[in-house]
Amino acid sequence: MSRNATEWRRRPTLAPTHYVDPRIYTDRALFEEEREKIFKKVWSVVCHESEAPNAGDYRRCRHMSGKELLVVRGVDMKIRAFYNHCSHRGNLLAMEPSGNARRITCMFHQWSYDTRGNCVAITRQKEGYQDRVSRKDMGLREVRTEVGLGGFVWVNVDDGCGPLEEFVGDSLDYLKEELSAKPLEIISYHKAVVNSNYKLWYDTNSELYHDFLHHHNRKIALIQPGYWDRRVHVHDHGHVSVDSMECRYDAYEGNDGRQRRLGWPGGEVACHKLIDLFPTMTFILRAPAFRLDTMVPLAPDKVAIEFRGFAVKGDSAEDRAARVRDHNSIWGPFGRNLPEDEIAIVGQMMAMKGGDDSAYVLHGREEPSIQNEIGMRHYYGEWSKWMERGASDPFGNRAIAAAE
Amino acid sequence: MTTTGTATREPRGEPTGSGFESLAEREKAVRELVARTCLTMDAYDFAGYLDLCHPDFRYTITTYSPELRKDITWLDHDFAGMETLLEVLPLHASDHFLRLVMSRHLGVYTVAYSENDTRAAVVSGLQVFNTARDGGVTELLAVAKYHDVVALEGGEAKLLVREVRLDTRMLGETGSLIPF
Repeated sequence: MSRNATEWRRRPTLAPTHYVDPRIYTDRALFEEEREKIFKKVWSVVCHESEAPNAGDYRRCRHMSGKELLVVRGVDMKIRAFYNHCSHRGNLLAMEPSGNARRITCMFHQWSYDTRGNCVAITRQKEGYQDRVSRKDMGLREVRTEVGLGGFVWVNVDDGCGPLEEFVGDSLDYLKEELSAKPLEIISYHKAVVNSNYKLWYDTNSELYHDFLHHHNRKIALIQPGYWDRRVHVHDHGHVSVDSMECRYDAYEGNDGRQRRLGWPGGEVACHKLIDLFPTMTFILRAPAFRLDTMVPLAPDKVAIEFRGFAVKGDSAEDRAARVRDHNSIWGPFGRNLPEDEIAIVGQMMAMKGGDDSAYVLHGREEPSIQNEIGMRHYYGEWSKWMERGASDPFGNRAIAAAE
Repeated sequence: MTTTGTATREPRGEPTGSGFESLAEREKAVRELVARTCLTMDAYDFAGYLDLCHPDFRYTITTYSPELRKDITWLDHDFAGMETLLEVLPLHASDHFLRLVMSRHLGVYTVAYSENDTRAAVVSGLQVFNTARDGGVTELLAVAKYHDVVALEGGEAKLLVREVRLDTRMLGETGSLIPF
Protein backbone atom coordinates (compact mmCIF):
# COMPACT_ATOMS: atom_id res chain seq x y z
CA MET A 1 0.00 0.00 0.00
CA SER A 2 1.35 3.43 -0.84
CA ARG A 3 1.76 5.98 1.97
CA ASN A 4 0.48 9.50 2.47
CA ALA A 5 2.77 12.30 3.72
CA THR A 6 2.33 11.48 7.40
CA GLU A 7 2.91 7.80 6.88
CA TRP A 8 5.89 8.52 4.64
CA ARG A 9 7.62 10.51 7.39
CA ARG A 10 6.71 8.21 10.23
CA ARG A 11 9.53 6.53 12.10
CA PRO A 12 10.07 2.92 11.10
CA THR A 13 9.00 0.18 13.46
CA LEU A 14 12.62 -0.55 14.25
CA ALA A 15 14.96 0.44 17.04
CA PRO A 16 16.36 3.98 16.43
CA THR A 17 19.80 2.42 15.91
CA HIS A 18 18.44 0.63 12.84
CA TYR A 19 17.62 3.59 10.63
CA VAL A 20 18.92 7.11 10.04
CA ASP A 21 17.34 10.43 9.30
CA PRO A 22 17.99 11.23 5.62
CA ARG A 23 19.09 14.73 6.56
CA ILE A 24 22.42 13.35 7.77
CA TYR A 25 23.16 12.91 4.07
CA THR A 26 21.89 16.26 2.87
CA ASP A 27 22.12 18.94 5.53
CA ARG A 28 24.83 21.53 4.98
CA ALA A 29 25.16 22.56 8.62
CA LEU A 30 25.64 18.95 9.65
CA PHE A 31 28.27 18.56 6.97
CA GLU A 32 30.24 21.56 8.25
CA GLU A 33 29.94 20.13 11.75
CA GLU A 34 31.29 16.79 10.53
CA ARG A 35 34.28 18.62 9.09
CA GLU A 36 35.06 20.26 12.43
CA LYS A 37 34.22 17.38 14.73
CA ILE A 38 35.35 14.36 12.71
CA PHE A 39 37.42 15.08 9.60
CA LYS A 40 39.84 17.36 11.43
CA LYS A 41 40.21 14.93 14.32
CA VAL A 42 40.72 11.39 13.03
CA TRP A 43 43.47 9.57 11.16
CA SER A 44 43.14 8.87 7.46
CA VAL A 45 45.30 7.60 4.62
CA VAL A 46 46.28 10.23 2.07
CA CYS A 47 48.59 8.14 -0.14
CA HIS A 48 51.01 5.21 -0.12
CA GLU A 49 54.74 5.29 0.44
CA SER A 50 55.28 3.84 -3.05
CA GLU A 51 53.88 7.06 -4.50
CA ALA A 52 57.02 8.82 -3.27
CA PRO A 53 59.75 6.17 -3.44
CA ASN A 54 62.82 8.40 -3.85
CA ALA A 55 64.37 11.19 -1.84
CA GLY A 56 62.77 14.46 -2.88
CA ASP A 57 59.65 12.81 -4.27
CA TYR A 58 56.48 14.63 -3.41
CA ARG A 59 52.82 13.90 -3.80
CA ARG A 60 50.09 16.51 -3.66
CA CYS A 61 47.11 15.19 -1.70
CA ARG A 62 43.83 16.49 -0.40
CA HIS A 63 42.97 15.74 3.19
CA MET A 64 39.39 14.89 4.10
CA SER A 65 39.18 18.15 6.04
CA GLY A 66 39.51 19.85 2.66
CA LYS A 67 43.06 21.00 3.26
CA GLU A 68 45.66 20.66 0.50
CA LEU A 69 48.62 18.59 1.68
CA LEU A 70 52.07 17.97 0.33
CA VAL A 71 53.57 14.60 1.19
CA VAL A 72 57.34 14.68 0.80
CA ARG A 73 60.05 12.07 1.15
CA GLY A 74 63.00 13.91 2.60
CA VAL A 75 66.64 13.52 1.78
CA ASP A 76 66.74 11.49 5.00
CA MET A 77 64.12 9.18 3.35
CA LYS A 78 61.54 10.07 5.98
CA ILE A 79 58.05 10.85 4.76
CA ARG A 80 56.48 14.02 6.12
CA ALA A 81 53.26 15.83 5.33
CA PHE A 82 52.79 19.58 5.23
CA TYR A 83 50.05 21.96 4.31
CA ASN A 84 50.62 22.65 0.62
CA HIS A 85 50.53 26.29 1.47
CA CYS A 86 53.25 28.93 1.20
CA SER A 87 53.95 30.70 4.47
CA HIS A 88 54.22 34.02 2.67
CA ARG A 89 50.94 34.76 0.89
CA GLY A 90 49.12 31.45 1.10
CA ASN A 91 49.67 30.28 -2.45
CA LEU A 92 49.63 26.61 -3.34
CA LEU A 93 53.23 25.41 -3.31
CA ALA A 94 53.11 22.28 -5.46
CA MET A 95 50.75 22.44 -8.39
CA GLU A 96 51.64 19.16 -10.08
CA PRO A 97 50.09 16.00 -8.60
CA SER A 98 53.57 14.58 -8.03
CA GLY A 99 57.20 15.30 -8.71
CA ASN A 100 60.70 15.44 -7.32
CA ALA A 101 62.44 18.43 -5.81
CA ARG A 102 65.13 19.00 -3.21
CA ARG A 103 63.69 22.46 -2.68
CA ILE A 104 60.06 23.39 -2.97
CA THR A 105 59.80 26.89 -4.34
CA CYS A 106 56.62 28.91 -4.49
CA MET A 107 56.07 30.14 -8.02
CA PHE A 108 54.59 33.43 -6.78
CA HIS A 109 57.48 35.20 -4.98
CA GLN A 110 60.07 32.39 -4.99
CA TRP A 111 60.14 31.56 -1.30
CA SER A 112 61.77 28.15 -0.90
CA TYR A 113 61.47 25.27 1.56
CA ASP A 114 63.53 22.15 2.05
CA THR A 115 62.11 18.65 2.37
CA ARG A 116 61.90 18.99 6.16
CA GLY A 117 59.63 22.00 5.80
CA ASN A 118 62.25 24.59 6.74
CA CYS A 119 62.03 27.91 4.96
CA VAL A 120 65.43 28.20 3.29
CA ALA A 121 65.07 31.24 1.07
CA ILE A 122 63.13 34.48 1.13
CA THR A 123 63.79 36.59 -1.90
CA ARG A 124 65.20 40.03 -1.00
CA GLN A 125 64.63 39.21 2.64
CA LYS A 126 66.94 41.82 4.11
CA GLU A 127 65.72 44.58 1.81
CA GLY A 128 62.06 43.89 2.43
CA TYR A 129 61.83 42.75 6.02
CA GLN A 130 65.13 43.96 7.52
CA ASP A 131 65.26 41.88 10.73
CA ARG A 132 61.51 41.73 11.32
CA VAL A 133 60.92 38.35 9.64
CA SER A 134 63.13 35.34 10.16
CA ARG A 135 63.25 32.24 7.94
CA LYS A 136 63.18 30.07 11.04
CA ASP A 137 59.68 31.35 11.82
CA MET A 138 58.40 30.82 8.29
CA GLY A 139 58.55 27.02 8.02
CA LEU A 140 55.72 24.97 6.58
CA ARG A 141 52.91 23.65 8.74
CA GLU A 142 53.77 20.01 9.35
CA VAL A 143 50.97 17.63 10.25
CA ARG A 144 51.05 14.41 12.25
CA THR A 145 52.15 11.68 9.86
CA GLU A 146 52.82 7.99 10.27
CA VAL A 147 53.82 5.48 7.62
CA GLY A 148 52.76 1.94 8.31
CA LEU A 149 50.16 -0.83 8.36
CA GLY A 150 51.03 -1.73 4.77
CA GLY A 151 53.12 1.31 3.92
CA PHE A 152 50.20 3.71 3.87
CA VAL A 153 50.77 7.36 4.69
CA TRP A 154 48.43 8.20 7.56
CA VAL A 155 47.78 11.79 8.48
CA ASN A 156 45.96 13.59 11.24
CA VAL A 157 45.73 17.39 11.11
CA ASP A 158 44.98 17.54 14.84
CA ASP A 159 48.31 17.95 16.63
CA GLY A 160 46.68 16.74 19.83
CA CYS A 161 45.32 13.51 18.40
CA GLY A 162 45.93 10.09 19.89
CA PRO A 163 48.29 7.58 18.30
CA LEU A 164 47.40 5.88 15.02
CA GLU A 165 47.61 2.43 16.62
CA GLU A 166 44.91 3.39 19.09
CA PHE A 167 42.62 4.65 16.33
CA VAL A 168 43.04 1.55 14.15
CA GLY A 169 42.95 -0.84 17.09
CA ASP A 170 42.65 -4.46 16.01
CA SER A 171 40.61 -3.69 12.91
CA LEU A 172 43.44 -4.32 10.45
CA ASP A 173 44.68 -7.48 12.17
CA TYR A 174 42.54 -9.43 9.76
CA LEU A 175 44.80 -8.23 6.92
CA LYS A 176 48.00 -8.17 8.94
CA GLU A 177 49.67 -11.04 7.07
CA GLU A 178 48.74 -9.71 3.66
CA LEU A 179 49.83 -6.18 4.49
CA SER A 180 53.16 -7.23 5.94
CA ALA A 181 54.28 -10.32 4.00
CA LYS A 182 55.78 -8.15 1.24
CA PRO A 183 55.78 -4.41 0.58
CA LEU A 184 52.89 -3.10 -1.47
CA GLU A 185 53.32 -1.03 -4.61
CA ILE A 186 50.71 1.17 -6.21
CA ILE A 187 49.61 0.11 -9.69
CA SER A 188 46.49 2.13 -10.33
CA TYR A 189 44.97 5.43 -9.34
CA HIS A 190 41.88 7.25 -10.37
CA LYS A 191 39.47 9.68 -8.85
CA ALA A 192 35.77 10.31 -9.19
CA VAL A 193 33.85 13.33 -7.98
CA VAL A 194 30.42 11.95 -7.30
CA ASN A 195 27.32 13.97 -6.59
CA SER A 196 26.46 12.14 -3.43
CA ASN A 197 27.16 12.12 0.28
CA TYR A 198 30.35 10.44 1.41
CA LYS A 199 28.53 8.30 3.96
CA LEU A 200 26.47 6.71 1.21
CA TRP A 201 29.68 5.41 -0.35
CA TYR A 202 30.81 4.13 3.01
CA ASP A 203 27.40 2.51 3.56
CA THR A 204 27.68 0.75 0.21
CA ASN A 205 31.13 -0.52 1.05
CA SER A 206 30.01 -1.83 4.40
CA GLU A 207 26.70 -3.49 3.50
CA LEU A 208 27.04 -6.56 1.34
CA TYR A 209 23.29 -6.77 0.77
CA HIS A 210 24.02 -4.80 -2.39
CA ASP A 211 25.85 -7.77 -3.90
CA PHE A 212 22.51 -8.24 -5.63
CA LEU A 213 23.40 -5.15 -7.67
CA HIS A 214 26.48 -6.65 -9.26
CA HIS A 215 26.30 -9.30 -11.93
CA HIS A 216 29.97 -10.01 -11.23
CA ASN A 217 29.45 -10.45 -7.47
CA ARG A 218 26.33 -12.51 -7.94
CA LYS A 219 28.24 -14.97 -10.08
CA ILE A 220 31.52 -15.22 -8.19
CA ALA A 221 30.16 -14.99 -4.64
CA LEU A 222 26.47 -14.63 -3.95
CA ILE A 223 25.45 -17.94 -5.49
CA GLN A 224 28.57 -19.77 -4.35
CA PRO A 225 29.14 -21.99 -1.30
CA GLY A 226 30.39 -20.18 1.75
CA TYR A 227 28.91 -16.81 0.89
CA TRP A 228 26.19 -16.90 3.54
CA ASP A 229 28.53 -18.31 6.19
CA ARG A 230 30.49 -15.06 6.31
CA ARG A 231 29.98 -12.66 9.14
CA VAL A 232 30.47 -8.95 9.71
CA HIS A 233 32.62 -8.01 12.70
CA VAL A 234 32.75 -4.68 14.48
CA HIS A 235 35.83 -3.12 16.01
CA ASP A 236 36.49 -0.17 18.28
CA HIS A 237 36.16 3.33 16.83
CA GLY A 238 33.52 2.42 14.24
CA HIS A 239 35.62 0.08 12.12
CA VAL A 240 34.23 -3.07 10.51
CA SER A 241 35.62 -6.22 8.90
CA VAL A 242 33.98 -8.93 6.82
CA ASP A 243 34.90 -12.62 6.71
CA SER A 244 36.56 -13.97 3.60
CA MET A 245 35.44 -16.67 1.21
CA GLU A 246 36.92 -18.36 -1.80
CA CYS A 247 35.48 -16.51 -4.77
CA ARG A 248 34.58 -18.56 -7.85
CA TYR A 249 36.04 -16.27 -10.44
CA ASP A 250 35.61 -18.82 -13.18
CA ALA A 251 31.85 -18.45 -12.81
CA TYR A 252 31.92 -14.96 -14.29
CA GLU A 253 31.98 -14.89 -18.06
CA GLY A 254 34.49 -12.08 -18.36
CA ASN A 255 37.20 -13.37 -16.06
CA ASP A 256 40.55 -14.60 -17.18
CA GLY A 257 41.08 -17.92 -15.38
CA ARG A 258 44.85 -17.60 -15.53
CA GLN A 259 45.10 -14.40 -13.54
CA ARG A 260 42.73 -15.69 -10.90
CA ARG A 261 45.06 -18.51 -9.92
CA LEU A 262 47.44 -15.89 -8.64
CA GLY A 263 47.09 -15.31 -4.91
CA TRP A 264 48.47 -12.73 -2.53
CA PRO A 265 51.42 -13.30 -0.18
CA GLY A 266 50.09 -14.19 3.23
CA GLY A 267 46.58 -14.79 1.90
CA GLU A 268 44.49 -17.45 0.25
CA VAL A 269 44.02 -17.68 -3.49
CA ALA A 270 40.75 -16.01 -4.51
CA CYS A 271 40.16 -14.68 -1.00
CA HIS A 272 37.93 -11.67 -0.47
CA LYS A 273 38.64 -9.63 2.63
CA LEU A 274 37.06 -6.28 3.36
CA ILE A 275 37.73 -3.75 6.10
CA ASP A 276 35.99 -0.40 6.48
CA LEU A 277 37.67 2.21 8.64
CA PHE A 278 35.65 5.06 10.08
CA PRO A 279 34.91 7.52 8.60
CA THR A 280 36.09 7.42 4.98
CA MET A 281 38.27 4.41 4.10
CA THR A 282 37.83 0.91 2.75
CA PHE A 283 40.48 -1.78 2.23
CA ILE A 284 39.53 -4.65 -0.06
CA LEU A 285 41.71 -7.61 -0.93
CA ARG A 286 40.20 -9.74 -3.63
CA ALA A 287 43.27 -11.68 -4.59
CA PRO A 288 45.19 -11.12 -6.75
CA ALA A 289 44.43 -7.40 -6.43
CA PHE A 290 44.17 -5.01 -3.53
CA ARG A 291 42.11 -1.82 -3.47
CA LEU A 292 41.93 1.16 -1.15
CA ASP A 293 39.16 3.75 -1.25
CA THR A 294 39.67 7.08 0.47
CA MET A 295 37.27 9.98 0.38
CA VAL A 296 37.41 13.73 0.55
CA PRO A 297 33.91 14.97 1.31
CA LEU A 298 33.46 18.24 -0.59
CA ALA A 299 29.88 19.15 0.28
CA PRO A 300 26.85 17.31 1.65
CA ASP A 301 26.07 16.19 -1.88
CA LYS A 302 29.55 15.92 -3.35
CA VAL A 303 32.45 13.65 -2.57
CA ALA A 304 35.81 13.02 -4.21
CA ILE A 305 36.63 9.33 -4.03
CA GLU A 306 40.18 8.22 -4.69
CA PHE A 307 40.69 4.64 -5.82
CA ARG A 308 44.08 3.03 -5.50
CA GLY A 309 45.11 -0.40 -6.69
CA PHE A 310 48.09 -2.28 -5.30
CA ALA A 311 50.34 -5.14 -6.27
CA VAL A 312 53.24 -6.73 -4.46
CA LYS A 313 56.67 -5.19 -4.77
CA GLY A 314 59.01 -7.58 -6.53
CA ASP A 315 56.30 -9.29 -8.56
CA SER A 316 57.42 -11.02 -11.74
CA ALA A 317 56.41 -9.16 -14.88
CA GLU A 318 53.77 -11.80 -15.55
CA ASP A 319 52.26 -11.57 -12.06
CA ARG A 320 52.30 -7.81 -12.12
CA ALA A 321 50.49 -7.75 -15.45
CA ALA A 322 47.90 -10.16 -14.05
CA ARG A 323 47.29 -8.03 -10.97
CA VAL A 324 46.97 -4.85 -13.02
CA ARG A 325 44.60 -6.49 -15.46
CA ASP A 326 42.55 -7.99 -12.68
CA HIS A 327 42.31 -4.80 -10.64
CA ASN A 328 41.45 -2.53 -13.53
CA SER A 329 39.03 -4.89 -15.25
CA ILE A 330 36.91 -5.02 -12.09
CA TRP A 331 37.71 -1.84 -10.16
CA GLY A 332 39.05 0.59 -12.75
CA PRO A 333 36.89 3.34 -14.25
CA PHE A 334 35.96 0.91 -17.04
CA GLY A 335 35.65 -2.02 -14.62
CA ARG A 336 32.76 -4.43 -14.26
CA ASN A 337 32.01 -3.55 -10.69
CA LEU A 338 32.90 -0.06 -9.55
CA PRO A 339 30.67 2.07 -11.82
CA GLU A 340 27.64 0.12 -10.62
CA ASP A 341 28.24 1.14 -7.01
CA GLU A 342 28.69 4.75 -8.06
CA ILE A 343 25.44 4.79 -10.00
CA ALA A 344 23.60 3.58 -6.91
CA ILE A 345 24.81 6.35 -4.62
CA VAL A 346 24.19 8.99 -7.28
CA GLY A 347 20.63 7.72 -7.53
CA GLN A 348 20.24 7.83 -3.75
CA MET A 349 21.31 11.46 -3.63
CA MET A 350 19.08 12.44 -6.54
CA ALA A 351 16.15 10.97 -4.65
CA MET A 352 17.11 12.39 -1.24
CA LYS A 353 17.78 16.00 -2.22
CA GLY A 354 15.40 18.14 -0.26
CA GLY A 355 16.04 15.59 2.47
CA ASP A 356 13.42 16.76 4.94
CA ASP A 357 10.79 14.99 2.90
CA SER A 358 12.68 11.79 2.35
CA ALA A 359 11.87 8.60 4.15
CA TYR A 360 14.12 7.26 6.88
CA VAL A 361 16.98 5.17 5.53
CA LEU A 362 16.94 1.63 6.88
CA HIS A 363 20.00 -0.12 8.27
CA GLY A 364 18.01 -2.78 9.99
CA ARG A 365 18.94 -6.21 8.61
CA GLU A 366 19.91 -8.57 11.40
CA GLU A 367 20.20 -11.88 9.60
CA PRO A 368 23.13 -13.97 10.81
CA SER A 369 25.08 -13.68 7.58
CA ILE A 370 27.25 -11.36 5.54
CA GLN A 371 24.13 -9.33 4.79
CA ASN A 372 23.65 -8.30 8.40
CA GLU A 373 23.76 -4.50 8.43
CA ILE A 374 25.53 -4.29 11.75
CA GLY A 375 28.44 -2.58 9.99
CA MET A 376 26.36 0.47 9.15
CA ARG A 377 24.77 0.53 12.59
CA HIS A 378 28.22 0.41 14.18
CA TYR A 379 29.36 3.25 11.95
CA TYR A 380 26.44 5.48 12.91
CA GLY A 381 26.98 4.66 16.56
CA GLU A 382 30.50 6.05 16.23
CA TRP A 383 29.28 8.96 14.13
CA SER A 384 26.79 9.84 16.88
CA LYS A 385 29.55 9.88 19.49
CA TRP A 386 31.69 12.31 17.52
CA MET A 387 28.74 14.46 16.51
CA GLU A 388 26.99 14.31 19.86
CA ARG A 389 23.76 13.66 17.98
CA GLY A 390 21.76 10.58 17.16
CA ALA A 391 21.79 9.66 13.49
CA SER A 392 18.11 8.76 13.56
CA ASP A 393 17.06 12.17 14.86
CA PRO A 394 20.03 14.55 14.55
CA PHE A 395 18.04 17.71 15.23
CA GLY A 396 15.62 16.30 17.75
CA ASN A 397 12.72 17.69 15.79
CA ARG A 398 11.41 14.88 13.67
CA ALA A 399 8.70 13.94 16.08
CA ILE A 400 6.39 11.76 14.11
CA ALA A 401 6.48 8.59 16.12
CA ALA A 402 6.43 5.04 14.98
CA ALA A 403 3.08 3.50 14.32
CA GLU A 404 1.76 1.57 17.26
CA MET B 1 54.65 4.23 -43.34
CA THR B 2 53.91 7.27 -45.41
CA THR B 3 51.38 9.74 -44.19
CA THR B 4 48.74 11.20 -46.42
CA GLY B 5 45.78 13.39 -45.85
CA THR B 6 44.04 12.35 -49.06
CA ALA B 7 44.43 9.44 -51.43
CA THR B 8 45.39 11.67 -54.37
CA ARG B 9 48.62 12.59 -52.57
CA GLU B 10 49.64 8.93 -52.21
CA PRO B 11 53.21 8.77 -53.61
CA ARG B 12 53.30 5.09 -54.57
CA GLY B 13 50.64 4.80 -57.24
CA GLU B 14 47.97 2.09 -57.02
CA PRO B 15 47.48 0.04 -53.88
CA THR B 16 49.38 -3.23 -54.05
CA GLY B 17 48.64 -5.89 -51.45
CA SER B 18 45.38 -4.69 -49.97
CA GLY B 19 43.05 -5.82 -52.72
CA PHE B 20 41.47 -2.41 -53.23
CA GLU B 21 40.84 -1.16 -56.75
CA SER B 22 42.01 2.37 -56.12
CA LEU B 23 43.64 4.58 -53.56
CA ALA B 24 40.38 6.42 -53.12
CA GLU B 25 38.52 3.21 -52.30
CA ARG B 26 41.19 2.19 -49.84
CA GLU B 27 41.13 5.56 -48.12
CA LYS B 28 37.35 5.56 -47.99
CA ALA B 29 37.33 2.07 -46.48
CA VAL B 30 39.79 3.06 -43.75
CA ARG B 31 37.96 6.23 -42.78
CA GLU B 32 34.55 4.59 -42.89
CA LEU B 33 35.73 1.71 -40.77
CA VAL B 34 36.95 3.99 -38.02
CA ALA B 35 33.73 5.98 -38.16
CA ARG B 36 31.57 2.85 -38.12
CA THR B 37 33.23 1.61 -34.96
CA CYS B 38 31.84 4.72 -33.30
CA LEU B 39 28.43 4.48 -34.91
CA THR B 40 27.95 0.85 -33.94
CA MET B 41 29.00 1.44 -30.34
CA ASP B 42 26.82 4.55 -30.12
CA ALA B 43 23.93 2.35 -31.22
CA TYR B 44 24.85 -0.33 -28.62
CA ASP B 45 25.24 -2.61 -31.67
CA PHE B 46 28.00 -4.68 -30.11
CA ALA B 47 27.73 -7.47 -32.69
CA GLY B 48 28.04 -4.89 -35.45
CA TYR B 49 31.15 -3.50 -33.77
CA LEU B 50 32.76 -6.93 -33.54
CA ASP B 51 32.03 -7.50 -37.23
CA LEU B 52 34.33 -4.58 -37.94
CA CYS B 53 37.18 -6.15 -35.96
CA HIS B 54 39.90 -8.47 -37.19
CA PRO B 55 40.16 -11.91 -35.51
CA ASP B 56 43.52 -10.79 -34.11
CA PHE B 57 41.97 -7.64 -32.67
CA ARG B 58 43.64 -6.04 -29.67
CA TYR B 59 41.90 -3.33 -27.67
CA THR B 60 43.37 -1.23 -24.89
CA ILE B 61 42.40 1.88 -22.97
CA THR B 62 45.48 3.65 -21.64
CA THR B 63 46.41 6.92 -20.06
CA TYR B 64 49.31 8.63 -18.39
CA SER B 65 48.89 9.19 -14.67
CA PRO B 66 50.67 12.35 -13.43
CA GLU B 67 49.88 11.15 -9.92
CA LEU B 68 51.89 7.97 -10.37
CA ARG B 69 54.16 9.31 -13.11
CA LYS B 70 53.57 6.28 -15.26
CA ASP B 71 51.20 4.83 -17.83
CA ILE B 72 48.11 2.95 -16.71
CA THR B 73 46.19 0.42 -18.80
CA TRP B 74 42.57 0.40 -17.75
CA LEU B 75 41.25 -2.15 -20.19
CA ASP B 76 43.08 -4.74 -22.26
CA HIS B 77 41.31 -7.34 -24.40
CA ASP B 78 41.87 -9.53 -27.42
CA PHE B 79 38.97 -10.34 -29.73
CA ALA B 80 37.61 -13.10 -27.53
CA GLY B 81 37.88 -10.96 -24.42
CA MET B 82 36.15 -8.07 -26.11
CA GLU B 83 33.43 -10.35 -27.40
CA THR B 84 32.77 -11.69 -23.89
CA LEU B 85 32.85 -8.26 -22.36
CA LEU B 86 30.30 -6.92 -24.83
CA GLU B 87 28.08 -9.98 -24.47
CA VAL B 88 27.95 -9.64 -20.71
CA LEU B 89 27.49 -5.86 -20.62
CA PRO B 90 23.69 -5.92 -20.74
CA LEU B 91 23.71 -8.00 -17.56
CA HIS B 92 25.41 -5.16 -15.71
CA ALA B 93 23.92 -1.93 -14.40
CA SER B 94 25.33 0.90 -16.47
CA ASP B 95 24.57 4.59 -16.43
CA HIS B 96 24.52 4.28 -20.18
CA PHE B 97 21.63 1.84 -20.02
CA LEU B 98 19.78 3.86 -17.37
CA ARG B 99 20.23 7.63 -17.40
CA LEU B 100 22.64 8.52 -20.14
CA VAL B 101 23.26 8.06 -23.83
CA MET B 102 26.88 7.96 -24.93
CA SER B 103 27.96 9.44 -28.26
CA ARG B 104 31.42 9.46 -29.79
CA HIS B 105 32.60 12.32 -31.99
CA LEU B 106 35.55 11.55 -34.17
CA GLY B 107 37.97 13.38 -36.41
CA VAL B 108 40.57 11.42 -38.36
CA TYR B 109 43.89 13.22 -38.13
CA THR B 110 46.40 11.06 -40.00
CA VAL B 111 46.44 7.89 -42.07
CA ALA B 112 49.72 6.14 -42.79
CA TYR B 113 50.04 3.01 -44.94
CA SER B 114 52.57 0.24 -44.61
CA GLU B 115 55.00 -0.51 -47.39
CA ASN B 116 53.14 -3.64 -48.43
CA ASP B 117 49.89 -1.71 -48.28
CA THR B 118 48.11 -4.16 -45.96
CA ARG B 119 48.09 -1.99 -42.85
CA ALA B 120 46.98 1.55 -42.14
CA ALA B 121 47.93 3.37 -38.98
CA VAL B 122 45.20 5.87 -38.16
CA VAL B 123 45.25 8.55 -35.49
CA SER B 124 41.95 10.20 -34.66
CA GLY B 125 40.74 12.72 -32.15
CA LEU B 126 37.84 11.51 -30.03
CA GLN B 127 35.39 13.26 -27.79
CA VAL B 128 32.81 11.24 -25.89
CA PHE B 129 29.64 12.91 -24.72
CA ASN B 130 26.90 11.93 -22.31
CA THR B 131 23.38 13.05 -23.05
CA ALA B 132 20.87 12.66 -20.26
CA ARG B 133 17.73 10.77 -21.21
CA ASP B 134 15.85 13.04 -18.81
CA GLY B 135 15.88 16.52 -20.32
CA GLY B 136 18.54 15.89 -22.93
CA VAL B 137 21.42 17.94 -21.55
CA THR B 138 24.78 16.96 -23.04
CA GLU B 139 28.07 16.95 -21.15
CA LEU B 140 31.57 16.09 -22.24
CA LEU B 141 32.66 12.78 -20.74
CA ALA B 142 36.13 12.32 -22.18
CA VAL B 143 38.75 13.56 -24.61
CA ALA B 144 41.03 10.96 -26.15
CA LYS B 145 42.79 9.79 -29.26
CA TYR B 146 42.31 6.57 -31.12
CA HIS B 147 45.57 5.01 -32.24
CA ASP B 148 44.31 2.38 -34.65
CA VAL B 149 45.86 -0.14 -36.97
CA VAL B 150 43.54 -1.19 -39.77
CA ALA B 151 44.15 -4.45 -41.61
CA LEU B 152 43.61 -4.15 -45.37
CA GLU B 153 43.19 -7.59 -46.85
CA GLY B 154 41.20 -8.86 -49.82
CA GLY B 155 39.62 -5.51 -50.48
CA GLU B 156 38.28 -5.31 -46.93
CA ALA B 157 39.21 -3.12 -43.96
CA LYS B 158 39.12 -4.56 -40.43
CA LEU B 159 40.14 -3.01 -37.13
CA LEU B 160 43.24 -4.86 -35.94
CA VAL B 161 44.48 -2.70 -33.07
CA ARG B 162 42.82 0.08 -31.12
CA GLU B 163 44.47 1.96 -28.32
CA VAL B 164 42.17 4.52 -26.75
CA ARG B 165 44.64 7.00 -25.33
CA LEU B 166 42.78 9.09 -22.79
CA ASP B 167 43.49 12.66 -21.84
CA THR B 168 40.53 12.65 -19.48
CA ARG B 169 41.04 10.52 -16.39
CA MET B 170 38.05 11.51 -14.35
CA LEU B 171 35.24 9.95 -16.32
CA GLY B 172 32.06 11.58 -15.17
CA GLU B 173 30.71 10.51 -11.82
CA THR B 174 30.63 6.82 -12.45
CA GLY B 175 33.23 5.81 -15.01
CA SER B 176 31.97 3.77 -17.93
CA LEU B 177 31.11 0.14 -18.26
CA ILE B 178 30.95 0.59 -22.01
CA PRO B 179 34.31 0.89 -23.76
CA PHE B 180 35.00 3.89 -25.96
